[in-house]
Amino acid sequence: MKAPLTRILLGVSLLVLAACSSTPQTKALLANPVPGQHVSQRIDSVVFHPQDAYQCGPAALAMVLDHSGVEVAPEALVERVYVPARQGAFQVEMLAATRHHRRLPLVIEPRLESIIAWLDAGEPVLVLLNLGLSWYPKWHYAVVIGYDLQARELILHSGLIPNYRMSLALFERTWRRADHWGAVALVPGHLPVAESPGRYFTAASAFERFATREQAEALWRAGVQAWPDSPELAMGLGNHWYQQGDLTLAAGVFHTLVNNHQNYAPGFNNLAHILLELGDLAGAEEASRHALAEDDDNPTYQATLTEVLAAKEQD
Amino acid sequence: MTRKASTSLAGLLVLVFSLVSVQLPAQAALISTEQLAAEATLAAERDLLTERLLRDDVKAELLALGVSADAVQERIDSLSHAELAEINGKLATLPAGGNGLGTVAVVLLILILLEITGAIDIFPRI
Repeated sequence: MKAPLTRILLGVSLLVLAACSSTPQTKALLANPVPGQHVSQRIDSVVFHPQDAYQCGPAALAMVLDHSGVEVAPEALVERVYVPARQGAFQVEMLAATRHHRRLPLVIEPRLESIIAWLDAGEPVLVLLNLGLSWYPKWHYAVVIGYDLQARELILHSGLIPNYRMSLALFERTWRRADHWGAVALVPGHLPVAESPGRYFTAASAFERFATREQAEALWRAGVQAWPDSPELAMGLGNHWYQQGDLTLAAGVFHTLVNNHQNYAPGFNNLAHILLELGDLAGAEEASRHALAEDDDNPTYQATLTEVLAAKEQD
Repeated sequence: MTRKASTSLAGLLVLVFSLVSVQLPAQAALISTEQLAAEATLAAERDLLTERLLRDDVKAELLALGVSADAVQERIDSLSHAELAEINGKLATLPAGGNGLGTVAVVLLILILLEITGAIDIFPRI
């Protein structure tokens, strides 16, 4: 810098930019380390796939899928996720492609701590970044494979560069502009980090259609084990047993569910339906009326009661 | 019940119970997991759109954006109801990760300046 004026101008613009781009998550992470937190971590087994032009989506997805045990080349993913006129891939299609390959795509919590936790659990994290500006976005997928808290950096496979080190602060800024979106690809039933039952339920219910019987069972069991109080996850498991024809197991799950959640109408309705099939008409009627007591407009619950009463009449 | 049949049943349940305003005979049955998932999000949208219309709309958008006719059906079928509802009508502006770089000189100059000051990170080597 030659002239003092230039220096002043640059200084001012830097101050302005710094003020506009605070990084609260980085500050919090570095200020409040979790007891026993590793200083650094890197998952060395994440294979690097360099991206083709605009193909960071397929490349990044191939990396996380590969790490989860699904060998797939980026080229094979292009047809699944690439949108030519947008020169990129949508987030939901990245999740859908993961499901197609029989892995559970789980969106993580929007926090740096979450990325750290998943890395500690051995799971690389697919992230969306906006490498440009909010008004001139440059969307980019990368895979976070490690961190170094001492150097205040994350380690990513990104674009054409493996093991790319990016400062936590810069990562946070580019990640925040992408609404802190990240996801992991899990072997169904494997849940090393339990963050949000709601997100897990969303992921599991979207994945169920693609799951084998064993995968579906493992999926729901893992959810119920991690969050035994979640009514939706219990519904998932109970419904799974019902679909497999195991009415006794299903009834058990729904019984527990309604005992724990005495105002949860869907649980009562499904219990009623299963008890009806099992021939316990008194139990079915009681459960069915319970569902209607919570939601008397619901046509399903009304129809269930009608059927129960009709069966009683025939008895 | 076979898995395929129960999947169809689940799909039928979602369809039936998304048409609140249409006079269809209600089925005494389970609240399916998929229905529960759909109810948890965008309930208003569920009232207005059938599953089928939603899929058709998003499919048309993807085709218009250059996705091949061979690939589009399977891609649509892989998306959940909630995901379809989330993106319906928005495909032109949703984030699409691709890392394309602009080529306009003026834009490049601005970006280089911002890169040096650390506000963005398009050029890893700088």
